[in-house]
Amino acid sequence: MSADADTGFAAAWFRRRAERELLLGCLGCIALGFVLILGADAASGRQLGALDLLPLALYALALAGVHLSLVAAGLRGDQVLTATVAFLSGFGLLAQYRMGDFQSDPGALTLGLVPAGFLVMTVCALAFADGRYRVLARGLWVWAGVSLVLVAVLLVTGQRFRGAVYALGFTTPTEVLKVTIPLALAAYLERQGQALARWHPRLPLPPWRALWPLLAFFAVLIGLLALQRDLGMMMILGLAGLVVLASGTGRIGYLVYGLLAGAGLGALLLTVFAHGQRRLDAWLDPFQDPTGEGWQILQGLSGMYAGGLWGEGFGIGSPEYTPIAAADFIYSVIGEELGFLGCVVLVLFFLILLSRGIALAGPGRCAFGRLLAAGLTTVLAVQTLLNIGGVTKSIPLTGTTLPFISHGGASLLTAFAASGLLLAISDGVPGRSAKPPRAPRGRTTGGPSADLKPRKVRRKTVPREAAAPSDT
Amino acid sequence: MTAVDPLHLFGSLVGSAAWPALRLVLHLAFFIAACVVLWRAWAWLRLTEPRPAAGAGGWFPWPLLVLTAAFLAVLGYQASWHLTGLFRPRFVAFMQSHDRREFNPAHRILRGRILDRRGRVLAQSRELEGRVRRVYPFGPAFAHTVGYSDPQFGAIGAEAAANAQLNGATPQTLASWGELGRQLLTKTKQPRGQDLTLTLDSDLQLLALQRLGERRGAVVLLRPQDGAVLVSATSPAFDPNRLGPELFRGPAPGTPLLNRATQGLYPPGSVFKVVMAAQAIEAGFSGTLHCPAGGFTTSRRYPPIRDHDYYSAQKAGRAWAGFGNLDLTTAFAESSNVFFAQLGVRYGRDAFARAGERFAFDRQVRLYPGTDRYGSLSTGRLPRLAASDLYGLAQASIGQGRVLASPMHLATIAAAVANRGLAMRPRLLVQEPAAPLGQYMTAPTAARLAGMMRKVVTQGTGRGIDDAGLAIAGKTGTAENPRGAAHSWFIGFAPAADPRLAVAVLVEHGGFGSSVAAPIARDLLVKALELGAGP
Repeated sequence: MSADADTGFAAAWFRRRAERELLLGCLGCIALGFVLILGADAASGRQLGALDLLPLALYALALAGVHLSLVAAGLRGDQVLTATVAFLSGFGLLAQYRMGDFQSDPGALTLGLVPAGFLVMTVCALAFADGRYRVLARGLWVWAGVSLVLVAVLLVTGQRFRGAVYALGFTTPTEVLKVTIPLALAAYLERQGQALARWHPRLPLPPWRALWPLLAFFAVLIGLLALQRDLGMMMILGLAGLVVLASGTGRIGYLVYGLLAGAGLGALLLTVFAHGQRRLDAWLDPFQDPTGEGWQILQGLSGMYAGGLWGEGFGIGSPEYTPIAAADFIYSVIGEELGFLGCVVLVLFFLILLSRGIALAGPGRCAFGRLLAAGLTTVLAVQTLLNIGGVTKSIPLTGTTLPFISHGGASLLTAFAASGLLLAISDGVPGRSAKPPRAPRGRTTGGPSADLKPRKVRRKTVPREAAAPSDT
Repeated sequence: MTAVDPLHLFGSLVGSAAWPALRLVLHLAFFIAACVVLWRAWAWLRLTEPRPAAGAGGWFPWPLLVLTAAFLAVLGYQASWHLTGLFRPRFVAFMQSHDRREFNPAHRILRGRILDRRGRVLAQSRELEGRVRRVYPFGPAFAHTVGYSDPQFGAIGAEAAANAQLNGATPQTLASWGELGRQLLTKTKQPRGQDLTLTLDSDLQLLALQRLGERRGAVVLLRPQDGAVLVSATSPAFDPNRLGPELFRGPAPGTPLLNRATQGLYPPGSVFKVVMAAQAIEAGFSGTLHCPAGGFTTSRRYPPIRDHDYYSAQKAGRAWAGFGNLDLTTAFAESSNVFFAQLGVRYGRDAFARAGERFAFDRQVRLYPGTDRYGSLSTGRLPRLAASDLYGLAQASIGQGRVLASPMHLATIAAAVANRGLAMRPRLLVQEPAAPLGQYMTAPTAARLAGMMRKVVTQGTGRGIDDAGLAIAGKTGTAENPRGAAHSWFIGFAPAADPRLAVAVLVEHGGFGSSVAAPIARDLLVKALELGAGP
């Protein structure tokens, strides 16, 4: 295996065959689901036209485009990650199609949303691959500033609806914070990680001098979000902050203090906002007011119960009985139409996606990459858990969307952008490997995984200096 | 032949009879495809996993572990609604009344019926316009014991306690769990629940309620040998067919929601002398106590405790000489307060507290299997007496003062006397095996006490109900209370020689036990034995 064979298109084509295989599998699966929905539509008397196949065709084109671009660019990044994103977004496409999003005059915006997401992911991945993502660390003040300004502007100009704040055209620009905040956090921690790790020698006290800018920033951010009553976003960003802080300094204490403070803040907010208290009551005992506060959650659960173990089939359920099913309650629609097994499959895909993110946050990468991966993964994980937990009544409803699945352009594009960044990080940093690819082990002689091993080797050779939190 | 438009072909396929089967195949294929992708992703994951280098400290991905645990927890909780929502009574009730999905299996569940011991229907589900509704043919008569099941107001009583069985799911064995699994898979989910048979007897219950009439009170009839409750009547009651928010809003006049038979706590009055007599017999009491007309008190500061005969003589303008020296049996038959007040003081507060404990006072006893959440028996309450409070002890010894007991508990005391001292736990479900509640007294004590109780009816305060046809043994009670006329009590059992039924009757503010409560008890016992209600 020579160096030039490793970089050519043919080599890249061969190297990314795992992705190809998985993407084809996804396409087949989503196509089956699509036929199922079309069939249910036709059975209910709708005349099918060639245009009805457009979403599927666009999805297939998008997958092909993503794969070919990544191969052409010779990306060495994670292949399972792309496939997982493809499956989840395809699943989301099915769910949204099923919810009637495409039926009455599908605009270009609706049709183009998922392909646009793939484009965003590819662009993010390729633009920041090969270690270029480290440039992002320089934009610390940009990320922090953009985040605060966005929230502030929305607060001033936005309109209230169902207890939350929306910008013009019911978009939620604050979704962007799910990327900018992890960026800002990772950049700050890369600079201040060492200082933040120096706690008081005897007492369990963090270094205030290094901590206060971060604290102040978060206080303002959380305050603004509290004014918007966006409890879900507060929890997502707050937890992401704590995880990045703890993993960047190796100090679990931050996590402990942060969670305590979060619990205190939550209790305080509950007493201040009637909105939150009502949701908490509806969560604790939805039967108190089954036709009022408890209606949505109980209808969602009823749908899931009706779905049983494997559901009625895509397109057969009656999700229209659950209010706002397409957005926050899409998970209950999946539970209704694909049953408990469908939910398990979905959760497994999410777990694979998150496990890839967590692997990136492990040792073997530069500090900024690790921290950014940790932040983005935490955002995705918390968002997913908040949504699924809320819909299943495991936790109170927070009004968060399910990444890749829920209705909503901003949420979808942000999730794609985040996975693009993860993909870029997984590509690794060139020149950090001390030795040529195949040096450490002499056993990489041919075989199907021979071409995969250099990646492994490269990662293996870096970690010592990259793993230490002080590495900058 | 021209090329067939594939969409048109698809359309006609959907219209054909094969579509449902094809849909199922597609559905299955979707799952298989998703699982294949998962499996391949997993395989590639392990091939491309960057393993930590030998010296890198073996970074363990514990965040993944935490996340997996969190997702598993959510899925597990989800399954408790998604798959086994059947076990959530209010959830099933909600779906039955508010879910418009026709294929929701909750709509097909016809909740099982609740029957009395002779198969009369006490509660059943009726389908009306595609919706299932619960109907209680006897209205208020069984409102407290059968309870109700309502989407808005929840469930109580047998409806709540046996909810899973009524909804068709009581997997107790491995085989029945397998059956439940099969039903879940084939989506039948057992459209009809199982019936539930209660120990109650609707004829006797209705008779008891009719005899109580408009008066407030409670009647309990049970079998001493196995604790089966034949009558648990409470007046006033509410109609479970017509529940409304006003019923649950604050204290209503007459408190119809209160199950007086099991939860109503009243001063037992002279009926409590059964407990004191048992204690005295076991302590080896013999001989007599002097019971003067002037009564008995522990201190000159307190008014003397006197006998009823004193007051009735006073009312009639006659003089009364008092009982003089009384032995236990005569004092019991005549229900002498003076005697029992002295007796209590003589043995002291510790003996009193021990007796209370032995007779299961101060306890909550479950009435339905497994739980006391949907209805339990409050036995009674005994005061914690200070060592110096001799007058309190004297009052408590005649069932006054701060002594309280529920009608059903007093029925178990009568039943214990009839069952050689062993009280059985009252039970309402036929399927539940009999279980002891406590050995209230020894068998010889019970035998002697039974004779004494028989004498109450033949020669004592219960003479009025002495019936040639049926040998009843019992004890009357007339309990003073601060809210009005005395509560009227009777507890007893029959036939005296071979007891098969025990009874407790309470009429709130009814007056003399001998003239109000005792006749109700007699009528009920006669009718019950006529109907063959014994074991």
